[in-house]
Amino acid sequence: MATDVKGIELAGKAKGTPTGPPVKRTPPAPEPSGVVSLVAYPMATAARQFVRSLWRPSTILYPYERLEDPTFRNEVKVASGAPIGVGQIWDNYRGVHALNIRTCISCNLCMFSCPDTCIEMVNTDLGGGKTKKCPEIDYGKCSFCGFCSDACPEGCLTMTASYTITTHTRSEMIYSPERMFAVYKSKLPMNPIRLARPENEDRILLDEDLCIGCNACARDCPTKCITMMDIPKPTAKPGEKLPRRIWKEPTVNDEDCVRCGTCISVCPKECLYWGGGK
Amino acid sequence: MTTTLYGVAQGLSQLLLGTLARVLPSALAGVDSPGAVEALAVIIVGVIILATSMVNAIVLIWWERKLLGRFMDRRGAMHVGFAGLLQNFADGLKLFRKQPLTPAEADRLGYYLAPAAYLATSLMILGFLPISTGFIPGVAPLSLLMALAIFSFAPFFIFVGAWSANNKYSLIGGMRTAAQLVAYEIPLLFAVVSVVLLTGSFDLNTIVMDQAKDGWFALPLVLGLIVFTVAMLAEVERIPFDLPEAEAELVEGWNTEYGGMLFAMTMLTDYLRGLVASYLIVLLFLGWWPLPAGPLTAPLVSFPLAGILWFQVKVYVVFAVFVWIRASLPRVRTDQLLQIGWKRMIPLSLLNVVWAAALVVWGWPHLRWPSV
Repeated sequence: MATDVKGIELAGKAKGTPTGPPVKRTPPAPEPSGVVSLVAYPMATAARQFVRSLWRPSTILYPYERLEDPTFRNEVKVASGAPIGVGQIWDNYRGVHALNIRTCISCNLCMFSCPDTCIEMVNTDLGGGKTKKCPEIDYGKCSFCGFCSDACPEGCLTMTASYTITTHTRSEMIYSPERMFAVYKSKLPMNPIRLARPENEDRILLDEDLCIGCNACARDCPTKCITMMDIPKPTAKPGEKLPRRIWKEPTVNDEDCVRCGTCISVCPKECLYWGGGK
Repeated sequence: MTTTLYGVAQGLSQLLLGTLARVLPSALAGVDSPGAVEALAVIIVGVIILATSMVNAIVLIWWERKLLGRFMDRRGAMHVGFAGLLQNFADGLKLFRKQPLTPAEADRLGYYLAPAAYLATSLMILGFLPISTGFIPGVAPLSLLMALAIFSFAPFFIFVGAWSANNKYSLIGGMRTAAQLVAYEIPLLFAVVSVVLLTGSFDLNTIVMDQAKDGWFALPLVLGLIVFTVAMLAEVERIPFDLPEAEAELVEGWNTEYGGMLFAMTMLTDYLRGLVASYLIVLLFLGWWPLPAGPLTAPLVSFPLAGILWFQVKVYVVFAVFVWIRASLPRVRTDQLLQIGWKRMIPLSLLNVVWAAALVVWGWPHLRWPSV
C-alpha cells in the first residue's frame, strides 16, 4: 500500500481493497432533544469560551501587534512544535523574495517557471559600469507559489517571512532587483524548504548542419559552460559552394550546465535542441 | 438630591422662556406664563428621553459586538474611539450620507412609512418606563398595558414595509413576523398577568415601588421571568427567534430593500426594542434600580444619579444574557417556534399564573397559611 510521508493511505482504498479488520460501525447517536442538550449545554459551552477569552482572545490585533513581537514567542510555533526565535514567524512562510544580485547568473529559469508571468528580467546596475539581467517581480500578479525559488540553480532567489507588501499604487508592488537585494541584506528569515523536482535529464544537442558558429549561445550562457571549438574547414570540391559561416561549433560542458535553455532561445538558426535524456 | 427629570426640564424651560420674555418684553409679553413653561417642559422631557435612548441603543450595539467578540474568541470593534466605542456612531454617519434609493415597483407610502412608524412606536414605549426615582417620564394607571400594546404594533408595520417593498424575501420575512406574533404574545401576557396579580396594579410605577418594598419578583416568579424573557426574545426578533430576518435564507429578511438611512432606522429600532425589552424585564422582575438592601450596597446607591446608573447596569446585564443566548443557540424554524410557544410556554405561563394566584391567596408579601 502506497503511503505518503505522513502515513496517509493513498489510492487503492477507493477500489475496495481490504486494508485491515472491518471497522465496527456504531449506530448514529439519536438526535438531541430536551432543554439540557438543546439549550443548557450550548450555553455552557459558549460561557466557557467567553470566560477563556476574557483576558486575551486568540486573535492578534494586527496593526498594533505582530506575530514577530516577543510577546508571542511562546505562542507561535512551527509545525514541528518547537518554538521559534524572536523576529520570526513560520520559517516556511512564502513572503517577499530576497534576491542576491551578486550570485544571480541571469539564467531566466525563475522567469520561465513563473506560472503568473510576473517575473521580468531587467538590467541591473552592479556598479562600476557593469550591468546584469536580474528578475523583477510584480507582486500584483504573484501567487507566492515558490516555483521561482525552487527553480533557481544558484539559490540566490529565496522567499522570506516578510508579508507586508500592501501599497497605495499598483506600480509600487513591482519590486526591482535592487529592492529585493535590500530585502536579502536585511537578513530576514529565509524559507529553507526547496522543493525536490525531477532533474532535467536532457542535454543541449546541436544540429551541426544548421549551425553558423555565430557565438550567440556561448556569449549568453549564464554559466559560461559553452565553449566555441574550432572545426576543420572542409575543402570545397570543384563546383561546390561552401556555406558562409564561421568554422566553430559550441560544445556544452554538462557538469556546469544549469539547463536554463538560454542558448536555445538565443540561437538565430534554431540549431540547438533538448535531447539525449531518458 | 431631589433633582428630577421634570425639575430639570422645568428649570430649563423657565430659563429659556424667561430670557425670551426679558429680551423682547414688548413682543413676547406672556411667553413665560406657567402654562407655556409647563408645555415646553414636556417637550424638553421628550427630547431628553429621545436623545438618551437613541445614544443608549447605539451603545447597546457596541456592547453586543464586544460581547459577541469574546464569545467567538475575538475582540470585536477596536479602532474607532476607546475600544471601538465610536464605531457605531461612525457607521451611522456613513449611512446618513448614503443616497436613498426606492425600489422601482415599491409602494412608496408604505415603504417610507414603515421604518418611521416602527421607530416611532418603539420610542413611544419609553414614555411610560420609569428609569429611576428622579427619572419618571409619565405616570398612568394602565401604563404597563399601554407599553405592551404599543410594543405589539411593530409586526404590523414590519408587514406593511415588507409588502410595499415588492421583494419576495421581504414579503416572506413580513409573513413570518405575522406568523411569529401568535406564538409569543399569549405567554408574554400571561407572564405579565402574574406580576399584576402580585401588585394588583397595571401601573409600572406601582409595580416598581412594590418591588422596592417587598423584594424582586424574580424570586417568587422565576418561572414567569424565564417565560417573559423567552417571549421578549421573540418579540424583539433576536436570535434564536429572528425568523423575519433570517440572514442565512432570506438575504436580510423584511428589510432587504431598505438602504442608507432607512436601514439605519430599522437597525437602530431593532436595538431600541432590545433596550426596551431589557427595561421591561428589569422593571417587572429585577426590582427597578435599587440593589438588594444591606450594609455593603448602601454606599453604592448613595451618590447622585446612582439610580440611573444601577438601572442601566441591570439593563446591560440583561442584554448580555440576550447576547449570550444569541451566541449559543441556532435559529429555530417557524413550526418549532410555534411549538415552543404553544406547547411549552403557554403551559408554563399558566402554571406561573396559578402559582402567583396561590401566593396572593397566601397573603403575599407576608405569607401565612390561609385559615379556611
